[in-house]
Amino acid sequence: MKPAAQQYIDADLLRKRLILRNAAAEKKLLDTHKSAKQFFERLQLRPGKIRQHAKNLLTSGALAGTILLSNPLITIPIQPHPLVNSSNPQLPEQLSGEELTQIINSNLRDILPLTGDWKLTDDQEKEAIKRIKGIYGVPITGTVDGNKLLNNYGRMGAEQHLPRYPGDNVYAHERLVDKGITPGLGGWGYWEYDPSKLTKEEVEEEKWYVAVPIIYLPDWHEKVKYYVDWYKYRRVFVVNPANGKAVVADVADAGPSNWTGKHFGGSPEVMEYLGINYGMQNHPVVMFFLDDPNKEIPLGPLEYNWEKNKEETQDKI
Amino acid sequence: MAKIFYDHLVLREEIEVELEGYNLTPDEREEIVRLADETLHNEVLHTVLTHLPKDKHEQFLSLFHKSPGDNALLEFLKTEIVGIEDEIIKAADKVKAELMSEIVKSRKSS
Repeated sequence: MKPAAQQYIDADLLRKRLILRNAAAEKKLLDTHKSAKQFFERLQLRPGKIRQHAKNLLTSGALAGTILLSNPLITIPIQPHPLVNSSNPQLPEQLSGEELTQIINSNLRDILPLTGDWKLTDDQEKEAIKRIKGIYGVPITGTVDGNKLLNNYGRMGAEQHLPRYPGDNVYAHERLVDKGITPGLGGWGYWEYDPSKLTKEEVEEEKWYVAVPIIYLPDWHEKVKYYVDWYKYRRVFVVNPANGKAVVADVADAGPSNWTGKHFGGSPEVMEYLGINYGMQNHPVVMFFLDDPNKEIPLGPLEYNWEKNKEETQDKI
Repeated sequence: MAKIFYDHLVLREEIEVELEGYNLTPDEREEIVRLADETLHNEVLHTVLTHLPKDKHEQFLSLFHKSPGDNALLEFLKTEIVGIEDEIIKAADKVKAELMSEIVKSRKSS
């Protein structure tokens, strides 16, 4: 019997029609069910991509299992940072970006609140700190000198470059000039009044800065000077839970305002590196204080794992 | 293929079988199947959340996120919604009929 002849189809037309149909279905779902909209926004996941998410869960579980199964008695040459007790000695020395993303997905997202308030409970905070320390090998903490961030999990929005000295302009910032420069000063004013005195560290402080809304601290009005001094260039660790990208940043501005719906602001470089400088530029991140009083860990992207890559990273400074 | 708890009710394979009779490259077929799959997901989720009491949405979505393929999700829904399997089948059948119609409309003469 002769096989049935194939019918011809305009694949491009079909594809376009299905894209529209899918978009309409997604819009109907998210417009009708606010809980679902919030849920998927926090995951930074399109609802239709749930099968890919399921596949990622399987893969990350298999990855962790494979590592343990293949090397049950492995002694990973991880030297925890002196201030850190690595809680996850089973992770290998090197992970690809995709593997790190999958591990972050399985280790961090399941403890972050998917709907409702962005605040972490004490247990969630403790567990998040433990897991981030275990994966990245960095000394992070929720409380320093009795001070806590208003949020450790929330939306980060895009900020502009900050003027580092009188007359600073966006072109002097070299990169991401299209993001602009604030017309006014950052929360702590100029870094220097004489541009020739601007140090390399100060350049990095502006490049890798975040804004946190310290003006909403409960006793802000009573302790303005204390908080400004305390938070000025305070080092923090920021993770994008969607892809595992992490930066060491410093607090160089106070904001954003509550009415924006955002909890943090990120410099153009921070937003770019974390991969959240797209769309509404309003994406979930996790942020904790960095417990590194001697500033051993440089500002900027943190390649997994800081401690394992310490020598190589320091060579690049 | 990673499993979703309602796959056995949705039977997306029917779309794949239909597409076999057409002159599609493997990449084209894969993309069209993926788009159909995503559309089915959106519609099924919409159906589930429409019938599920609002105060159960967060619980369901959290469980769904943690383990999308877990059959316990369907058992949970069955305790909350009478006839949820029929509702899912009905919604999926409607979407599949629409998708089949799109396939027919995209035919062309050789």
